Formats: sequence, C-alpha cells, structure tokens
Amino acid sequence: MFGGQDSKQHTVQPYVTGTSVIGLKCADGVVLGADTLVSYGSLAKNRKTSRLMTVSNHCSLGFSGEYSDFQEIKSTLEELMISEYCMADNIPMQPRAIHQYLARVMYEARNKQDPLYNQLVIGGVLPATGEGYLGLVDLLGTNYESEMIATGYGTYIALPLLRKAYRPDITVAEGRKVIEDCLRVLYYRDARSIDTVQISTVTKEGAETTEPFKLETSWDFKKFKAGSRLIDESTW
Amino acid sequence: MFRNQYDTDITTWSPQGRLHQVEYAMEAVKQGSAVVGVRSDTHVVLATLKRSTSELASTQKKLFSIDDHLGIAIAGLTADARVLGRHMRTECMNYKYIYETAMPVGRLALNVADKCQVSTQRASKRPFGVGLLIAGYDELGPHLYQSCPSGNYYEFYSMAIGARSQSAKTYLERHFEEFASLELQDLILQAIRALRETVSSSKDAELTSKNCAIAYVGKGDTFTIVEDEEIQPYLDTLENSDGKQEEEEEETEDAAEQTEDKPTDAPMED
Amino acid sequence: MTSIGTGYDLSSSTFSPEGRVFQTEYAMKSVENSGTAVGARCSDGVVIAVEKVYHSRMMMKGSLRRVHFVEKHIGVGIAGLLPDGRQMVSKCREEATQYREVYGEPVPGRVLVDRLARFTHLYTLYWHVRSFGCSALVAAYDAEGPQLYMVEPSGMLMRYNACATGKAKQQAKTELEKLKLGELTCREAVTELAKTIVNVHDSTKDKLYELEMLWVCEESGRTAQFVPQELIDEARKAAEDEKDREDDDDDMDDA
Repeated sequence: MFGGQDSKQHTVQPYVTGTSVIGLKCADGVVLGADTLVSYGSLAKNRKTSRLMTVSNHCSLGFSGEYSDFQEIKSTLEELMISEYCMADNIPMQPRAIHQYLARVMYEARNKQDPLYNQLVIGGVLPATGEGYLGLVDLLGTNYESEMIATGYGTYIALPLLRKAYRPDITVAEGRKVIEDCLRVLYYRDARSIDTVQISTVTKEGAETTEPFKLETSWDFKKFKAGSRLIDESTW
Repeated sequence: MFRNQYDTDITTWSPQGRLHQVEYAMEAVKQGSAVVGVRSDTHVVLATLKRSTSELASTQKKLFSIDDHLGIAIAGLTADARVLGRHMRTECMNYKYIYETAMPVGRLALNVADKCQVSTQRASKRPFGVGLLIAGYDELGPHLYQSCPSGNYYEFYSMAIGARSQSAKTYLERHFEEFASLELQDLILQAIRALRETVSSSKDAELTSKNCAIAYVGKGDTFTIVEDEEIQPYLDTLENSDGKQEEEEEETEDAAEQTEDKPTDAPMED
Repeated sequence: MTSIGTGYDLSSSTFSPEGRVFQTEYAMKSVENSGTAVGARCSDGVVIAVEKVYHSRMMMKGSLRRVHFVEKHIGVGIAGLLPDGRQMVSKCREEATQYREVYGEPVPGRVLVDRLARFTHLYTLYWHVRSFGCSALVAAYDAEGPQLYMVEPSGMLMRYNACATGKAKQQAKTELEKLKLGELTCREAVTELAKTIVNVHDSTKDKLYELEMLWVCEESGRTAQFVPQELIDEARKAAEDEKDREDDDDDMDDA
C-alpha cells in the first residue's frame, strides 16, 4: 500500500506555483517572458515574484512550477556561475552547456523519485556568433531545443501564436513585441496569471531582465462584455 | 658514508625548504625516453621515441588518446601514466556527460596537476613518477601543456621532456617562433626534427618507423596517433629534405637567391 | 639552527629540546625561495602583486598563475610552492561554497581566512602530512570594508595594511613602509607595488619574470579581478625606467 511503513513518499504535487513561461528564438538573440505571480492553489499568493533570472552575460532562465524547487535550482546555478567566475580562464559557459547541466540535475532528481517540480526555459546566445539559443527542461529531465517554447497553459494559448509569428530572421525587438502580446493573451485566458510581467532579452551585448511592468489590457471586446454564451451562434 | 636524512620521506622538508622526494620523482621523468610537443596556430603535434626492452619485445607505448580533442605523451613510469590517463579519461567523460561539451584542455591540465600535488603531501603516497605533455584543441584553439610529478603545470609554445630532451629543447628554442604559421605537415616534420636531436647524440641513434610515433590534434582534426608503417613517409621526407639542405649549403655561394627549402613531397593524410 | 641533523627536525610531530618545530620552519623556508609577493590595503580597496619567475622563453604568458579567485569579492595571491597554493585555493572555494549553502550569502573575508588558517595549521600537526610550502595573501572587500590578510605555512594568520613575503620580503617591507596607505587609491597602489617588485627583483638570477596583480576595489565594483594588463605594463615600464635611471646615477657617482 502507498505510505506503508517501509515506503516513503516524496513530492507528488507542487504547492506554490508559477504559471507559463514563454520564449522565442530570434536571429540576433532570444526573448523570454513570464508574469510575476506565484499561486498557492487558486490563491494568488505573491504578485511580485520574479520568475526570470539572468544566469550570465549570455544566458537567462525562466521557470514555471514549484517555487521552492526553483529557488534550489537558482542557488545551484549561482554556485556554478561563481565557480566559473573563479576559473577566470576566458571560457564563457555556453547556454547549451547550462541547459544540459540543468537537464542532468533534473534527471538525477527524477531518478531518485524526487523530482524538482519545474519546467525551465533556457534562453541565450552563443558568445562567438551571437546566434540565439532556446531550450527547455522539465521535471522528468526531458530536454530539447526549439525556436519557440511555452510551458504550462502557454503550451495551448501561446505556442500557436508564437509559431505564427516566428520567422528565422525575426529580430529581438520584434520578438519582444510578440512575447508581450502572448503574455497579454495569457492574462486574458489563464486564471492563474496576472498582468504584471517581466521580459528578458539576451543578445550579443548581454542579458537583461526588465523590472516588472504592467501590461496594457482592454476588456471592452464584445464577447468579454456579454459573455460568450449569450451571443454564441453555434447550434449546440 | 654521507647520508641525506631529509630525502627518504615525502612529508619531510629539508632545512633549505626543499622536498627531495619530489625532486627525485622529477628525475624519473628524465629516465623516460624523450617526447616532444610543438604548436602552431591551428594544431599541436607530439613526437615520441619508443623504447623496447629486448629484440623480442614490443616497444613501450608513449602516446595515449584521452578524448576526441585531447591526448597525452608520457615520459617516466608508464604504469603511473596509465593511472593518470585513466583519471583524465574519466574526467573528460564526466565533463561531457554534464555539459554536453568537450572539457577545456586547460581545466583538465589543472585537474591532473592538482591530483599530482595530493601525492606529494601524504606519507601514505609517493609522487607520480611521470611527466606528461598534454595536447588538445578547444574553443580557445590548440594547447600544449606539461604536467610534472611536483604538481606544477605549464602551457608551452613548444616543449620536450624525457631523456636527453635538452638537445631537443635547444632546437625548439631556436625555432619555436617560426612554428605559428606552419601547416600541419610541416609542423609534424619540425616535431620529428626536434625529437631526432635527442637520438643523434647517442649510439643507437636513428629514428625508424619502429621507435618513432607521433600524434596530432587541431582544427578539424581529432586526436590521431601515427605510428609503424604510417610514419615511414614522414621519416623519408625528412631524410630527403636534409639531403637537399646539405647540397644547398654547398651551393650557397653561387646560388644566392635560392629559395628556402620546403619539403614539397610531404605525405598528405586525412 | 643548532638542532639541524640531530634528528629533532625530521617530523612535524617532533619538538626540539629548545621548543621549536623545525619542520614548519623549513616549510617557511620554501616560501622564501620563491618570487616576492606584496599586498596593500588602500582607501578604496586592496591590491596584491606577485613576481612570477619564468624558466623558459617557450612558456606561455599566463602559465604558473599565482593569482586566484575564491568568491566574487575575494582574491588570493600565492607565494611559495604553487601546487600547494592551489590546494589552499581549492579549500577556500570549498569553504566559500559551504558558507553560502548554510547562510545564503557570500562568506565574509574574516571568516574565510580563519577557516583557511585552521586548515593550514592542521597540516603542521601530524607526521603523516607535511606543512604547506606556501603563504597566501588574501584580499577581500565586504561589509567590513577592504581587508588584506596573510596565512603562513605555520597556520599563522594576520590582518595587514601592507605585507610582503617571498625571496625579498625584507627589502619589500621597507619599501612598503614608506607608502602612505591611508591616502593611496588602488590605481596608485598598482604603480607603487609594481615599483616595489621591480626594485626587489634580482635580474641577475631570474631573467624572465612577469608581474601578476589582482585587486578588489571600488574601481572593480568590489569584485576580485585581474588588474588590467595595460595598467600593469605601464606601471612596470615606469618602474623599470626609474630603476635604470637610478642605476645610471649610481654609476656616475662611482665615476
């Protein structure tokens, strides 16, 4: 039986969680976006929690899922970056290396049946070429690279929008707009989101995460006002 | 008989502040046959002289591949070198497993040096009796490192260690600045030339395809060992070019604007 | 040292009849055989300079690094056996990591050097290990302001305004005593420390040498960094020119 005398139960669900993170790879870098809410179930527990972090000059990270697990990951990463700083040997850690490192951390935890309950989105540039890099790791250790990534509810809401907006030659400036639009739509559709967001851009010049800012929203769409059912023209 | 009482124990400092046991371990490196390392802007080449204990025995291995981008040449106790080699392979594998990236050569050299240091500080150990030339290529380009039993490590443009390596070093010191722009084939020949300096003074005295082995690594080339019949063409080229050089030297007076001799028939290998 | 050769100086776990532990003293000798290292605490930070002696022209610049970083705000300069020094640096990093794990903030310089000294001292207590053959100069900048420490092979730890160790430590100390450290900025100290090293450098014995410097100061954002190479080159050139001039003057006086 579960929870018997000899068995041990680790985390089976997250408690304090962040919702979607989205990212778009651009020709000259990468853009990540996330709102600043962490929820306790459906309770909006903290509305000013940064869910994006700048890892290095060439790399940013965003998370969704359990906040405490992310804090642990964050300190692991900071430690890694300090030891890189101390090496002082002119070999900047590539975003891909950071991505893979996190994948090993997540997979190891999962194999102890004690996963870190997060999806992590890694955005960066290759220092040499300035080419963008975008990757994901989840709580199972699954990891992949993609031109556009969204986690959580964003998988349903933002990903199609990102796919539509993506061009191989899209610039970071354009990408920023797309990400902002996606965050807006997510705010309209996702009950666990809020309208205060952060955006992180990584280019050859460096990685930068904005201060939290409020999205401009508009609620006077006809369907928003009336409720969709009242003007539903479908037959069922 | 005079006996130095400060030289039998690794944990004993001499009154002069020296560690005799470590210095003796450094001597073991000089007992091993010579190895040479040279570097251009794109490649590193190692050249080694292999010994055998008898006519019936094979020669002792001097070159070890560690990873695709990296390998070592050793002088000293081969058994100790194999321990270090295995350690280096493990480190490279771990690094690659964690970061999906090849280990930077400098970091591996540092790691090995730190490992060597540990066995210079405990009574339960002895220092490794082997010197390594580490040749590798990473995102910063080609690298040639030397590591010592003392736990010191250095990066060099060119270097030679092992028995009679001084004569190779003298050759390298005269020429190493010219190596930067050399093509791989020419760099290999320079490495063998430097190595030849270490045998020319002794009686057994010739480089053959049996006792000479080289390795190279660099831009577009993974660590590759060249030995046995594969090395013969290089030795031939060297012999030919030397012949030409001598002729030229005789003719220098009447052929003032003779262009510099370059081996044109260097074997190409991919 | 009258007890040399009497058998009381072979192990760190042996006292001599007059109450000395010779093995530790011998270890300190090995520091005195090595290149000179100096450090100064200024009004706006700390600078450490190390003389790095080369034995081959074929060795690349940057080999035999004697300046290391332990945390973003802590740097270490090594005099003596470099491999031993690196071991000390590794220990410092380990302690810094451990402190961060427990307290969630960077380790204060004071705490770090205390732990380093304790570690170094351990190696003077047992026959089965030998003392470290190096001294570590530690520069830190934290809430307590800029700090300079030195840990010696015996495990002795002191905090300094300026300190010197290595081959020419006496001469270097005399030079450092002339500096008005309270008024000096780190930028100025780079010039002064370069001058000290150049002056004490014995060019008849060690031809090739390099100056290696680190600072933790306002200018570096209170992080430990290499002093920019241009600055070192400039300071070294100025110091060497001055030295040449003085030598010429001396020659003239002699004539």
